[in-house]
Amino acid sequence: MAADNIPPFIAAQLNYLLSHFPLALKVEQIWSGGINSPAFSDRFTLVIPYCLEFIRWDVIYDVECPTAAPDVIFGPEDENFHPFHPRIKSPKNCLSNWDNKDPTRLLTLIQYLRDQYGAYQRKRVGDVDDDRLKFEISTILSREGIEMHMSSGAEKPEEVKFAVPLMDMNINKMVPGCPWRHSQRIYLQVMYPVEKRYASAPSAPRLKLVATSELKALFSIDDVKLPSWLDGMCLAEYLPNLEESLKKQILEAVSLIDVRRGFIEALACQFGRPLEADPVFCRKATFLAASGVFTFLVHFLIPTQFPRQQPALILQSSQHFNSHSQRTPIKSGPLTDYPWSPRWEASQMAERISEFLADEALNFKRNCNEAQLQQ
Amino acid sequence: MDDPRVEKIAISGPTLASMIQRFSTASGAVDGLLFGHVTQVTSSNLSDDSDSPADSNSPTFVATITGFFCSGTINSFYDSTGTVESGFIGRFLDDSLRTHQSSFIGWFSGRRRTQLRPSMREWLVTASLLTETKYSFPVKNAPEPTDFKPCLFLLLTSPLSDQIIHTHEYRAYQFHSSTESFESKSISIVNIGPAFRGHYGSFSPNTPFPSLSCELRGSPIRDKGHDKKQGLKDQRELDMCAEGFEIGRLRGLVGSEATNYTENLEDLYEKMLVKMENLARMVEDSSAKLYEQEKHNRELRYKISKSAVSE
Repeated sequence: MAADNIPPFIAAQLNYLLSHFPLALKVEQIWSGGINSPAFSDRFTLVIPYCLEFIRWDVIYDVECPTAAPDVIFGPEDENFHPFHPRIKSPKNCLSNWDNKDPTRLLTLIQYLRDQYGAYQRKRVGDVDDDRLKFEISTILSREGIEMHMSSGAEKPEEVKFAVPLMDMNINKMVPGCPWRHSQRIYLQVMYPVEKRYASAPSAPRLKLVATSELKALFSIDDVKLPSWLDGMCLAEYLPNLEESLKKQILEAVSLIDVRRGFIEALACQFGRPLEADPVFCRKATFLAASGVFTFLVHFLIPTQFPRQQPALILQSSQHFNSHSQRTPIKSGPLTDYPWSPRWEASQMAERISEFLADEALNFKRNCNEAQLQQ
Repeated sequence: MDDPRVEKIAISGPTLASMIQRFSTASGAVDGLLFGHVTQVTSSNLSDDSDSPADSNSPTFVATITGFFCSGTINSFYDSTGTVESGFIGRFLDDSLRTHQSSFIGWFSGRRRTQLRPSMREWLVTASLLTETKYSFPVKNAPEPTDFKPCLFLLLTSPLSDQIIHTHEYRAYQFHSSTESFESKSISIVNIGPAFRGHYGSFSPNTPFPSLSCELRGSPIRDKGHDKKQGLKDQRELDMCAEGFEIGRLRGLVGSEATNYTENLEDLYEKMLVKMENLARMVEDSSAKLYEQEKHNRELRYKISKSAVSE
């Protein structure tokens, strides 16, 4: 594979970048630009999160010229983005005195370029001739970490996007034993259509909550109902209510971890020690169960809304296999049609599930036997 | 003042082909300088329509690329921040501008398997070139003196995907200092295509050829010290080849001494042929050495690439 053939000086810088960049970067493609064999892979496409979307930049090293700084080709819509300027000479220019043996150099460069890109987009948005937008920018620009993006295409109408980081709270710190490497945030994405100069009344922006992907283990933003946007409202008025309610929901979500943990502990009284359990978010646990000689696993998938929503159970036989599809064990679909009340004590929940499984095990065993006979 | 806007960029087929050849045989990315001239042409868009726009008689400029210098590597005349090292270009320009009547009109970059649009560095280098006013040169045929800066940029790439049948891509740009942006320009390749005959009329190719001024001695027209010195040097080189056979002695070819004289001359020619052969052998040897050295350099480069990064 091409990726195996990255010269060490590039690999060191790239690995350092990927492991130290504050945001999750991806490398989409790695390829070679040489004609000599062995062909070293010396160019790659970086996928960089920006304003809740991704920008793709090609980083072009030259393996024939290892001491030269890499070149960057930006996206086709950003032809006016010029992060460096020949007239502005800065002693701290991260391209000067390029040292290919310093693994931190690429990180410094990409960090600088992304910062400049933010400033470039902010300027583009600031140049849009729209009174409502100008007002919104003036009132929320002081918020830390806000990102803006101006999209304009031939077919699409012009649109301005804001990504507003919500709540100045460190969710990572609130979760004991937190495994997240990147800081988890919730953003409000606000999309304003660019209005004609004399439009009667500015239409409401489109709003969407977006969270960093790993947060869903703790909290699902799909369950959040956004407050409605009243006529003539501005973002600075809208945000405090939303943040207040989100803050409460996050605190609740964190407290629910302990409720789930209590439930798994109660299950342990019924089924014995779990084979596997998610120790941080307590979203998953697997127990070994038996009905006579029939032995099977019970997977508990516990939703973030637990105990309001009941866990889904998946049974997996230890004795039956699908003969086709690589002999995987036979599994049931997720079961949720068992008696449940969120008001029960954890021990009672466990007891009732245990009773339900005593019956369901027979059904599952029969199904497994039939499935195997058919094959 | 903004630079004159060029209508199109003309390049002769062989020039473009040899550029592509240099680019495709180089082991890595390459860059280099472009030479040529910019001409103001009278636009002939006469119209019967009396309402035709008033600016139809605005001057039209055509840039013609007649030659290039390929460095065979990158960062040849600029550093990693894209700042042009004027010393390098200056040294080069002195030489090239004197020998052929073309100006430094821009530069080119060739990089394999990349997107066909200017990169961060290419923008920087071009913008940096234009901050120097000393590279300006006059436009030919302009009724009023117009200056042109080396604002042209030619980009050569090869396609990213292997699935495509063409092997090379190129695009030419003019950089506008007022907007600090590239504008894509059409390239017309002189002597390619069905309408090539018409091109010859307006195209004057310029072959770079060393100026060996033979009839220099006693010529009173050239009185510049530098030229004279250079001329004397050329003359000395010529004399060395002629081995005492000055132009004046050729007079002996006619008349009574002609028979002896022919022998001498034939002798001279023979010696010249031997010399020529030696020269050919030397070229062969040296290019073999060059090849060896290139191979060695490449191995060294791989060693650097392979070497552990931080000890």
